[in-house]
Amino acid sequence: MEGYVNGSIPLGPFKRGSMDRDQPILQVKDLSKAFNGNMVIHKVHFSITERELSAIIGPNGAGKTTLFNLITGYHLPDRGKILFRGKEIVGMQPYDIVRLGIARAFQRTNIFPRLTVLDNIVSTIITSQRRNLDFFRPVSGRRGVHEKALEILESVGLADLAHQQSGMLAHGNQKRLDIAVALALEPKLLLLDEPTAGMSPEERWRIVKLIQRLWDQLKITMVFIEHDMDIVFGISQKIRVLCYGSLIAEGSPEEISKNERVIEAYLGEEIS
Amino acid sequence: MKDLRSHARNRNWVAAVVVVAALFALPFILNRLGKIGEYWIWVSTEIIISALFASSLNLILGFGGMVSFGHAAFFGVGAYTVALLMKKGGIPLIPALMAAPMMAAIMAAVIGWFCVRLIGLYFAILTLAFGQLLYMIVFQWYNFTGGDDGIHGIPKPALLTPVNYYLFCLVIFLVCFLLMWMIVNSSFGLTIRTIRENMDRAKFIGINVKRFQWFNFIIAGAFAGLAGGLFTELNRFAQTDFLHWSKSAEPILASLVGGMYSLVGPALGTAVLMFLNIFLQQIHQDLIEIWAMILGFILLLVVLFAPDGLVGLYGRIRERIDSFGAI
Repeated sequence: MEGYVNGSIPLGPFKRGSMDRDQPILQVKDLSKAFNGNMVIHKVHFSITERELSAIIGPNGAGKTTLFNLITGYHLPDRGKILFRGKEIVGMQPYDIVRLGIARAFQRTNIFPRLTVLDNIVSTIITSQRRNLDFFRPVSGRRGVHEKALEILESVGLADLAHQQSGMLAHGNQKRLDIAVALALEPKLLLLDEPTAGMSPEERWRIVKLIQRLWDQLKITMVFIEHDMDIVFGISQKIRVLCYGSLIAEGSPEEISKNERVIEAYLGEEIS
Repeated sequence: MKDLRSHARNRNWVAAVVVVAALFALPFILNRLGKIGEYWIWVSTEIIISALFASSLNLILGFGGMVSFGHAAFFGVGAYTVALLMKKGGIPLIPALMAAPMMAAIMAAVIGWFCVRLIGLYFAILTLAFGQLLYMIVFQWYNFTGGDDGIHGIPKPALLTPVNYYLFCLVIFLVCFLLMWMIVNSSFGLTIRTIRENMDRAKFIGINVKRFQWFNFIIAGAFAGLAGGLFTELNRFAQTDFLHWSKSAEPILASLVGGMYSLVGPALGTAVLMFLNIFLQQIHQDLIEIWAMILGFILLLVVLFAPDGLVGLYGRIRERIDSFGAI
């Protein structure tokens, strides 16, 4: 923690200059997207600071997942720009955006079901290290990759299940694996789409603790979509509220909880 | 847990050694049986070549998770490469056989480049369309390919007795099988399986999905081309049937029956189906008339009761026995 207080985070290869505390890691500028004439994202404009842990909230159909899909290159926006560390990423392929350092975990668990838990991670690591054009050397012989994969599984609490077929895992563990897959990419920005969806209350908090711990240890920027307001207000430094495709509010938890438009459009509805 | 796995691995190694030894001994035993033995040596050689063809398809089907209905195109390109080089070019067998996978790979690179842009059914239909297109070209281009006459009278090297050719094909098959085993277990192989499991997520871990599918398609095409080349020398002719879509169906059916999530599955499926076909033919000539029905019935049984094929069935039985032993 000491490192980042004075502005120099020991994070390895990338340029120190771009690592200033207040430097935006992601800038979304006037982003719009329509599907069949329906405005799903409407002139959304915000920027995310390095090392932020923030939440995106909003009623169902507000466009939260679409926003993630736009950032990660799954959809092409109709209008607007997305800059990652100053670099325009609109129009890039998802696999190229990943390589810049934006990873995501999915709302519906999205893993590789018939691979073992370990192979889910190993495959991700060899891809991010660009070693997957090796045709003859057995992948099981890559000691370094395996040790690293086990370390990552350890950090999400799945090391004991490493040799299980991942599709056979319980739902909560599949969510953990989904997050682990994203972590294996060593992202600088991690987008988590409802990491606690479909979980029991106790399990939810375990995942939340995990997210918080990872954020703290890895010193990366995290954005999560979440419906549970206790979680949102409990851990985020900043909250952004989407409603019918528009960003209606942005601020600290205190600011958001007092914001009239938010209460009217979203929280009020929830309470009543 | 770990103990059980290494135990199973040892057992597989022992089985592999026994099977390979038996395959090497087979022609010498058959050779003593006179005319019928010679026939069965020919059949066994054909089975080995078809097993190579089926294994090559399975790189796309079982490991890549894509159904190709045009794989015979590469088998045919390999076959015609060998036929044309040997008959018209007077080139010896070995260099001709080396050219076969190369030509097939080039063709697979061209066709695959378009096909991998599509997914699922559309991919399957496009491979079928390209396969049939190639078939029609070979069929119509009389001056070059001999049209529906095919190319006959391919020279036979003096050393190639049926037994020698059997052994030659067996060695090539084993080398190719080893290569495929290495490929499937390599980083590339894991990437291909990763794409099969979840194409969308694969993009989000940074895999250039189309590129890897394309490479895989080319590799599979090359092995199919080699199989086609070997088959031409066995028959001493090449004909348009080798490229027909029904030829593409054979390795698919074999993979289904044998089990497409394993490397041996397609080879095993090929052996079982072809042996059964010819065995029935030997019992009574009329049985071959209803072969399609018998095949249909076998497929029905496989789909209903052994969706992972014979290899999957074996695995399940083994598991039962092991757990029984544990109690």
